Amino acid sequence: MLSRVQFALTAGSHFLFVALTLGLATLVAVMQTRATVSGSAVHARMTRFWGQLYVINYAVGIVTGLVMEFQFGLNWGGMTRMAGGVFGAPLAMETIVAFFIESTFLGLWIFGWDRLNRWAHLALIWVVTLTAYLSAYFVLVANGWLQRPVGYEMVDGAARLTDLGAVMTNPTAVLAFFHVLFGGLLTAGFFMAGVSAFHLFRRTAEVEFFRRSMRIGLLTVILSVFPVVVFGGMQFAHVQPTKNPGSDDAAAKAAEFTARFGPDDYLAPGLTDAGLATMVMAWVVMILVALVALVKLPFGRWLVRGRVFHVLMMLAVPLPYVAMLAGWVFREVGRQPWTVYGLLKTKDALSDVSPGLITTSFVAFTALFAVLIGVNTWLLARYARRGPDAARLGAPAPVEPAAPALAPTF
Amino acid sequence: MEILAIVMLAVFAGAYLVLAGADIGVGMLLPVLGRSQQERRVVIAAIAPFFLGNEVWLVSTAGIVAGAFPGLEHHLLEGLFPLFVVLLLGWVVRDMGLWLRGRVDAAAWRRMCDAAIVAGSWALALAWASVLGSLLAGGEGLNVGSVAGLPLAALFAVHGVGLARWRLTGALSARADRFPAPYPLTGAALVTVALVAGTRLPWADAAGAGAGLTVTAVTTAVVLPVLVAAQALVWWTFRGRVDSPSYL
Repeated sequence: MLSRVQFALTAGSHFLFVALTLGLATLVAVMQTRATVSGSAVHARMTRFWGQLYVINYAVGIVTGLVMEFQFGLNWGGMTRMAGGVFGAPLAMETIVAFFIESTFLGLWIFGWDRLNRWAHLALIWVVTLTAYLSAYFVLVANGWLQRPVGYEMVDGAARLTDLGAVMTNPTAVLAFFHVLFGGLLTAGFFMAGVSAFHLFRRTAEVEFFRRSMRIGLLTVILSVFPVVVFGGMQFAHVQPTKNPGSDDAAAKAAEFTARFGPDDYLAPGLTDAGLATMVMAWVVMILVALVALVKLPFGRWLVRGRVFHVLMMLAVPLPYVAMLAGWVFREVGRQPWTVYGLLKTKDALSDVSPGLITTSFVAFTALFAVLIGVNTWLLARYARRGPDAARLGAPAPVEPAAPALAPTF
Repeated sequence: MEILAIVMLAVFAGAYLVLAGADIGVGMLLPVLGRSQQERRVVIAAIAPFFLGNEVWLVSTAGIVAGAFPGLEHHLLEGLFPLFVVLLLGWVVRDMGLWLRGRVDAAAWRRMCDAAIVAGSWALALAWASVLGSLLAGGEGLNVGSVAGLPLAALFAVHGVGLARWRLTGALSARADRFPAPYPLTGAALVTVALVAGTRLPWADAAGAGAGLTVTAVTTAVVLPVLVAAQALVWWTFRGRVDSPSYL
């Protein structure tokens, strides 16, 4: 049980931060493109300010992701033994083809601000963005296979990959990828609009900066609010029958499972429906906000002045997060009692490790991540509040009197 | 195909130990290399552009294990569970220290982050030393080597000094120069230890059957030149010695 809660907490916090990472990377890349092509100073400052928030947010995504990769082996030994032959392949591709380049180039982008040709520097953020999406795709291929196993054969109780194409084009992976892609953009759009609204509400002197940021945020919201629901809805064609406990299909499938695997509670827990309902409700509120935004978007001065609207946008920042988490609960809780649907039950997927060790590691990681998420959320808010002048990312190196501090030591 | 996958695994694990081993070593000796907070920031600047690119070698190593050697994943992670938990905790604490140090301008905050970097680096190095020791001693799970291997952590520290000698300048570099630490030699030592430890692993039943092994091995081999080029670009960009703080 603790293994499950631990993995859920790690994956959940990873997912929350990664959603903003994906969307914000894209918007930062767009802003840097405008800054580079037109030489516009305001866009260069926007790149640095929003880029700084992106980097703060990225740090949590990366460490939770690292831990998660190892947790597959640490906590879910039963799953790697049974499904590792298939499940491992997309994870390997994620690390080698996508994450390796993403991380290497992100370091180059952060630290190489004044050392690289500006076009080369622009190319870096685009590579970082695209490999981040590639990364998300491979992770969802792995997850999609757990939801709907395809392209494998069972030999001696272990799954073998037989059809890579089927695994890579699994609709539960591809549709979920686009759903998450637009979900990430929606998160970043609301985040940007909300932070901009905060500054405009406080009558900032940086009117042009935040009016433009607000417009990019709102435009992103308007453009992604429909695709996100389309790709979400399309997934229902492939949803597991037992996810909808009231239906005839669910009863039939549960009867089939009982015949094959013995009695168990094969219908999805009640939390699943709550997840779906919460996600849909959050989306309905988001589309209403998007409609207001659509009316206001053509009028720049109205965006700067409407104080009620500013409050609305600030309040709307958590909406995509709520929807993301609720959707994730719907997807993952709804698959229970299975880890690999119809193949491996969650209780059989666990590692063969003593409960004492599991408890210790659970307490240690939970405490560490709680501190981490707390500190990073605080920093995100702090840097968002301080505005563009406090952005140190890409700023010229601070001139510090290095010599006197060094001299006396010898 | 299994041979190709093993070679790839050796390349990635070796690259991790040589590259990240040095920045872990610098983290372990942070208070020795940098006496004041300002000096320590310069020491961190010596590894800052690289640590992200260094640790991905380990992430990819884990990816190759997951894709090509699911049997090994279980042998290592479940068998050495406590060591890998310490390793991960140390890794997270250290990275957070590095990321967060420059975010708040207060002496107490920097002290806390320095402590996190040092403690995390030591935890990481000791966990690796213990993992390598356990494998060298052979057998499954924790054994006498888990303790006997701990002194191997010193190798990381000396390797870090080698990097500091080569990256820093002025008084900081002179301070590092007092330790005789030849970077290529300590790097080679780390790789040798890892390779010998690798020969003790149960390869016979480790490899995955079916296309998973092939896909992972071939993809890795094909992409490797691109990855090396990307890393070379980073090293080329930041090839100069460091005498002032960077973003972190």
